[in-house]
Amino acid sequence: MKRHLVLIILLASLCALTGWMTSLGRVGFFTMAPSAKLLSAVEEHLQIVLTAELLAVAVGIPVGIALSRKSLRRGAPVLSAMTSIGQTVPTLALVGVFSILMGLGLRSAIVALSVYTLLPIVRNTYAGLVSIDPRVKEAARGMGMSTSQILWRVEMPLAAPLVMAGIRTSTVLNVGSAAVAGMIGAGGLGEIIMTGVSLRLVEMVLQGAAPTAALAILLDRLLESVATTATPRGLRLSLRRGSP
Amino acid sequence: MIELRDVTKVFPGGTRAVDGVTLAVHEGEFCVLLGPSGCGKTTTLRLINRLVSLTSGAIAVGGQDIQQLRVTQLRRRIGYAIQEIGLFPHMTVEQNVVTVPRLLHWPKAKRRKRARDLLDLLGLTPAEEFVRRYPAELSGGQRQRVGVARALGADPAILLMDEPFGAIDPITRERLQDEFLRIQREIRKTVVFVTHDIHEAIKLGDRIALMKEGRLIQHASPSQLLGQPADDFVRGFVGTDRTLKALRLTTVHEIMDAEPAVVGEEETLAAAQREMDSRGRSVLPVVSTGGVFLGWICRSASSETDLVPVGGRITPYLVLGSQGMPLNEALALMLESATGTLAVVDEERRLIGVVTFDRLFEQLRQTYAERVASEVES
Amino acid sequence: MLSTTWHYLVGHWSYVGQLTLEHIRIVFLANGLAVVIGLALGIFVSKRGREGLAELVLYVAGILLTVPSLALYGILMALLKALGLMSIGLVPVVVALTLYGLLPILRNTTTAIRGIDPAMIDAGRGMGMSEGQILWRVRIPLAVPAIMAGLRQAIVMNVGIAAIGAYIGAGGLGQLIFRGIANTRADLVLAGAICVSLLAVVLDVTLGAVERLSMPRGVRKEGQG
Repeated sequence: MKRHLVLIILLASLCALTGWMTSLGRVGFFTMAPSAKLLSAVEEHLQIVLTAELLAVAVGIPVGIALSRKSLRRGAPVLSAMTSIGQTVPTLALVGVFSILMGLGLRSAIVALSVYTLLPIVRNTYAGLVSIDPRVKEAARGMGMSTSQILWRVEMPLAAPLVMAGIRTSTVLNVGSAAVAGMIGAGGLGEIIMTGVSLRLVEMVLQGAAPTAALAILLDRLLESVATTATPRGLRLSLRRGSP
Repeated sequence: MIELRDVTKVFPGGTRAVDGVTLAVHEGEFCVLLGPSGCGKTTTLRLINRLVSLTSGAIAVGGQDIQQLRVTQLRRRIGYAIQEIGLFPHMTVEQNVVTVPRLLHWPKAKRRKRARDLLDLLGLTPAEEFVRRYPAELSGGQRQRVGVARALGADPAILLMDEPFGAIDPITRERLQDEFLRIQREIRKTVVFVTHDIHEAIKLGDRIALMKEGRLIQHASPSQLLGQPADDFVRGFVGTDRTLKALRLTTVHEIMDAEPAVVGEEETLAAAQREMDSRGRSVLPVVSTGGVFLGWICRSASSETDLVPVGGRITPYLVLGSQGMPLNEALALMLESATGTLAVVDEERRLIGVVTFDRLFEQLRQTYAERVASEVES
Repeated sequence: MLSTTWHYLVGHWSYVGQLTLEHIRIVFLANGLAVVIGLALGIFVSKRGREGLAELVLYVAGILLTVPSLALYGILMALLKALGLMSIGLVPVVVALTLYGLLPILRNTTTAIRGIDPAMIDAGRGMGMSEGQILWRVRIPLAVPAIMAGLRQAIVMNVGIAAIGAYIGAGGLGQLIFRGIANTRADLVLAGAICVSLLAVVLDVTLGAVERLSMPRGVRKEGQG
């Protein structure tokens, strides 16, 4: 209960700050972003995040499944090396490289973000699938399930919590990365922050920063509840008790 | 029902896990594959439902060569139970139990009924409550029962079980074995059961196939295995188990009734009957005036009014024990004797004591209790 | 592209070295603060009877971690300006990184202090130690490895986040990347990215070694045996 209260107060004050800054209208020589512009920026921001995430999921889950199959497991060490190095590369650099390779704009931002998101999704899918007790798979095989039945009825439901965790963290990270992408002309809330910084206009920086923070927190909570729903009930019980 | 002909499995890398095994399991028979770890018993089991592929030889199930069947079809016809971990943690008990019926597209109403019937059969009552639970909400013993129920899901004629009671405490295991025997008497499946526990093998099996290094060493009934071990390996294996070892270290002398109730050969049947009643026994040894053991007198052979001497109604003995005989041998002899009682005699065949099942079991129980206690401590 | 990057790094090694030092300074400053605050707060909230508070503090720290760095910088800039402090440059970045570093340190401190075998605490009490002595002689030494692990996590994470701080004038290796983007020079972007990644990896390995050394010797032996 206390938690919800904290969350609500936090989100409410971020929204109030945004509204306040927007209502300022003019600060000195400069005009704050009007509310219509702000709304379309939020929309663009979400568009970047969700498109990049969907792309990464569409590619990452099949790759994760493929890597977890026995014949391709040899690729796994390469994957883990790539993931651990990939995590140290700042998003900023990736966004920069893609803007140079593909030009400024939305397209290169989305590609950069989905490449950045791909690794955690592949890794979590792979980890979720290989951590399944082999005896569970053996039982499924012994009862006469076909390979695809085993994958969809047994393996994927059991890997779901880890896959969902990967999607959740990467989505939240992408809200931030999308803001950074504002500097390569991808639009979104990052653009407002960047404009504010270059104008040394703290009010405008806040006007972009507060909704970005609210968006990240909101998506995190939202995806947490989605992840809980996606986890089969029996699995939640066994995770809580520490053993299957 | 199941026929293995000269079956061999060589794993990549050259390990001969199963080496020329020929074995037939008849319909309704409970066959135990017994042996030390690494003897190939599990591999043999898994060859039957093709979880492991054959290198050479042939296996037929219900007269059909298993290679001719689609592998998923074959497996759906054979129940398969492994240690409890094999339950699907994300499915309810009901979903677990009707896994195979679902694969076989049984109608929903039939599946529902099947799940409840099976839970009833396995004593998971009230079934209506258990169907909704998840494996995480069950005790170890309950999970094991669900595992067996799941194997019985589509009412297969054949059950393959790989140490299904292996991961639970000895007391629960004992109870599950008893219950499974009861169920098996009811449903009469053809069962192939893997274990390394000789007690479990003796208790459950109609016949035991003892394996060593991939080869079948002896395929016999439990009493034959105990009484007539085929070679030193069998003798050793039958005796390496701790309880049996303890039995081997105990001699008949230590547990026999040294002052048994006896009947003289000139006494009347009526007197014998009174003696049996007062001792609460159904069989008594008969001795000559010199104390030489002559045989047994059974309750069925006597009546209270009979005044004839017992001498004419003696049941001859088939086996005799001596004081220094270890208990595992005594047990094997008793399984073969007509009366289930062993007379212990000296060199002149004079009766010096009697060993009954009750006394032997008391000894077994004590050893077993000590073993459980020491396992709990460690 | 890689060879021009290499040439750039070789040709401007002293400049790159200076940026690296700046980067390290920001990260260490922030994490030093995070350790002090995290430890104090962690010890404070892990006292018995404050479980509810501890949960709340960890929850808030968790939320803070989800706030994107650029947004947090922005909010802090406004906050600092409202307080009449430096709103651009090093200060907002250091404060932001301190906040980010708090969660791993705080979480590991509280779980480690609370997770200590109660029998050990009883033994301490039985020998007549005061609560304060138990804290400093038993709880904290046993919690040091976990705290170190949290610190390591925080530092590696902050190396990447600090790169974005260059945008609001904090300096560090992020400058290379920003200059590269502004002038469409891939070699600068790559040089910056490689240096940041290398720094993260080197710090991770070094701190891993320190972490092992920080274990009380008895605990280390137990872990091996």
